[in-house]
Amino acid sequence: MADLKSLEHPTLKVPYEILNKKFRTAQKTLDREASHVQQAAREIEETISSGNVKAKDITSLLGGMVEKLQVLKRKAEESISEELAASNVCKRRLEHLKERDTLTSTGTISHGAANQWKRKRLDRMMVEYFLRNGYYNAAITLAERSDIKDLTNIDIFLTSREVEKSLANHETQKCLLWCHDNKSKLRKLKSNMEFNLRIQEFVELIRTDNRMGAIKHARKHFSSFEEEHLTTIQQVMALLAFPVSTEISPYKALFDESRWDTLIEEFRQENYRLFQLASQSVFTVALQAGLSALKTPYPLTPLIYIYILCICYSENSENRNPACPVCQPCLNQLAEPLPFAHCSQSRLYCHISGLPLNENNLPMMLPNGYIYGEQALEQMAKENNGQIICPKTKEIFPFKKVEKVYVM
Amino acid sequence: MDACLAVEKEIDRVLSKFGDINGNAGRILSDLVSHIERIKAELENAPEDHTLTNVQLDILKQCMGKVKETVSRLTTDHRDLHSTVSKVGKAIDRNFVADFSATSREEVFASPEKINLINKVICQHLYRQGMQDVADTLVTDADIAPEIHNKEPFTELNHILDSLKNKDLEPALAWATAHRDALEAQNSSLEFKLHRLKFIELLKQGASHQTDAISYARIHFRKFVLRHEKDIQTLMGMLLYVPNGIGSSPYSCLLDSEMWLEIYELFTHDACQLLGISVNSPLGTCINAGCAAIPALLNIKQVMMQRQVTGIWNGKDELPIEIDLGNEGRYHSMFACPILRQQSTQNNPPMRLICGHVISRDALNKLCNGNKMKCPYCPIEQSPADARLIYF
Repeated sequence: MADLKSLEHPTLKVPYEILNKKFRTAQKTLDREASHVQQAAREIEETISSGNVKAKDITSLLGGMVEKLQVLKRKAEESISEELAASNVCKRRLEHLKERDTLTSTGTISHGAANQWKRKRLDRMMVEYFLRNGYYNAAITLAERSDIKDLTNIDIFLTSREVEKSLANHETQKCLLWCHDNKSKLRKLKSNMEFNLRIQEFVELIRTDNRMGAIKHARKHFSSFEEEHLTTIQQVMALLAFPVSTEISPYKALFDESRWDTLIEEFRQENYRLFQLASQSVFTVALQAGLSALKTPYPLTPLIYIYILCICYSENSENRNPACPVCQPCLNQLAEPLPFAHCSQSRLYCHISGLPLNENNLPMMLPNGYIYGEQALEQMAKENNGQIICPKTKEIFPFKKVEKVYVM
Repeated sequence: MDACLAVEKEIDRVLSKFGDINGNAGRILSDLVSHIERIKAELENAPEDHTLTNVQLDILKQCMGKVKETVSRLTTDHRDLHSTVSKVGKAIDRNFVADFSATSREEVFASPEKINLINKVICQHLYRQGMQDVADTLVTDADIAPEIHNKEPFTELNHILDSLKNKDLEPALAWATAHRDALEAQNSSLEFKLHRLKFIELLKQGASHQTDAISYARIHFRKFVLRHEKDIQTLMGMLLYVPNGIGSSPYSCLLDSEMWLEIYELFTHDACQLLGISVNSPLGTCINAGCAAIPALLNIKQVMMQRQVTGIWNGKDELPIEIDLGNEGRYHSMFACPILRQQSTQNNPPMRLICGHVISRDALNKLCNGNKMKCPYCPIEQSPADARLIYF
């Protein structure tokens, strides 16, 4: 339950932001259409008050009025149904989140269903991870396959894909349009996106040696940014004095093609901020935490003194547990720089049987220093004429030589 | 749960208010339209050069006043909904944690090699889950080298699991028969349970199939008598109730569709064990562990910030608290020294004293007094040199 609280903020916040945006546009449309109607009403009133009114004039004015009212009605219906659709997305996601809770609290529903929910959550997280990394096709296929399109934020990423593509082609149009669409929000976020795009346009004009065009462009667009960015503007304007092939430091950087990549990255971040998405995906955050929680600094084997790889398993270690995720080669490499799980109380498991070592299954030490569970060793001795073969070192010992170990 | 409910309350309010305004707007606007159209029709019927009478002018004036008022009320009504909408946002912010990433380090997974590794892990997971198409798309999208050998065991297993989902036992039975010896060696009752389900399915078809069921039992149950005598007796007992319907008998629980879910899980478990692969997807296990760990980590982080001791946890060597993942989440022994309350590392391994008690090497060195020491748990005096290194 706590995991819902900590992890599902973006699941709900994004559709809310969309709803909010829809509300604003709806309000704008309504205001505009309403003012048209008001205008028509005023016109009719004026005609009436001028006296000596012809029925013919009035009927045509009334006809216009009816038309405008109908437009208002249609627009109102359209925008409100869009708002309703946006709120329904929120609602559906809530329903999905609630499924997880009722399952665990009533306890009557089988374990399988809860696992199903978790699998779905993983799919959702993967979709988001794909989207953030630009693997759009994979994201769409997965979302369709698992039928979770409603539960993921594919739409906003697909719009941003268009913008990213155009930026990669060194075009600013679409991104500027996006800036315009989200103007008030971006202003609130103190975004520099538009300013940076304008600078880039300026640089591109100079690159093509259209310096007069660049000056015109600067006159038109830079003036609105002068309060905050005066020094940057001054620096950029100085470009006019340099050749494209300049080697002088801040100006050379301005001509660099990689600035476009920076713009793409900036656009991504701004888009995340716009929808209140964190800069990291839930998937990577959960993966980090999960690897840490599962990672053990143990076990210690003589080999490990040679190979300095002290987590869960190293290539040559016999301690590999096929069920342990951190023992999988790829995940093991990923886990390497992460902190390991905290443990203040020993938890011991028998390597042979996998059972916990406790008062019912005492830990026993072979003469070579390896610890196994009493039950497994007894079983092995029974089957092997009282001989114990250490599964890790393959040494053979008589069962008599096994000694007790007390772990507090 | 509370969090969801709180948000849901707000969203329900939004839905109902928007629903209201939608119906309202439509109704009053069409009322207005028809009202105006009536006036218009009336005026159109008037002769060509008719000048409007005072009464007509009044009606028009009133009508215009009404239009203006309705329209402006409509827009203000809509504007007033803003507070309702923004309450949803506030409810979300209040009940859910916006900054869940506070506990992780962004740069850890940022390098291209790490991203490649993550993609590989995801790919393996997708193959495991039988989502071959998604995996293939990912391979092209992310430009990773596909590892063909990883697909093979899963293609077969996924095929069997798919047919189990469709209540088709044959592929699973064929697999279980083919791997009979290996399954028996790991003490698995998978084959018997598959046959049992097949038998039950035969009985479900009613009295006409009972001879089939009996002959099926004769052929297949014999070899399981030693291990599953009790179960077979139960199954035979079912035959008593076939004419009257098993549904109303003491055996009705055996008809539950839960049996199919159970066999599904059992097959996954036993087959994975046999093939030496983990039962759960490693990625799934990690993510579930992560989801369990994050709330606790966020809490401790917040407490640390309040006490202004954030520096203690640099997020590099060890998590600040223990995460309880249950027994399933533990795969390796962990030894924490009972004296120092620290996990042992390769520099501080566990040592067994001659009395059998285990402490860490650092603790042992601290307890030394010359070349003598006393066990902290029992009265035995010994030489620290007698302690020996052990391996869990």
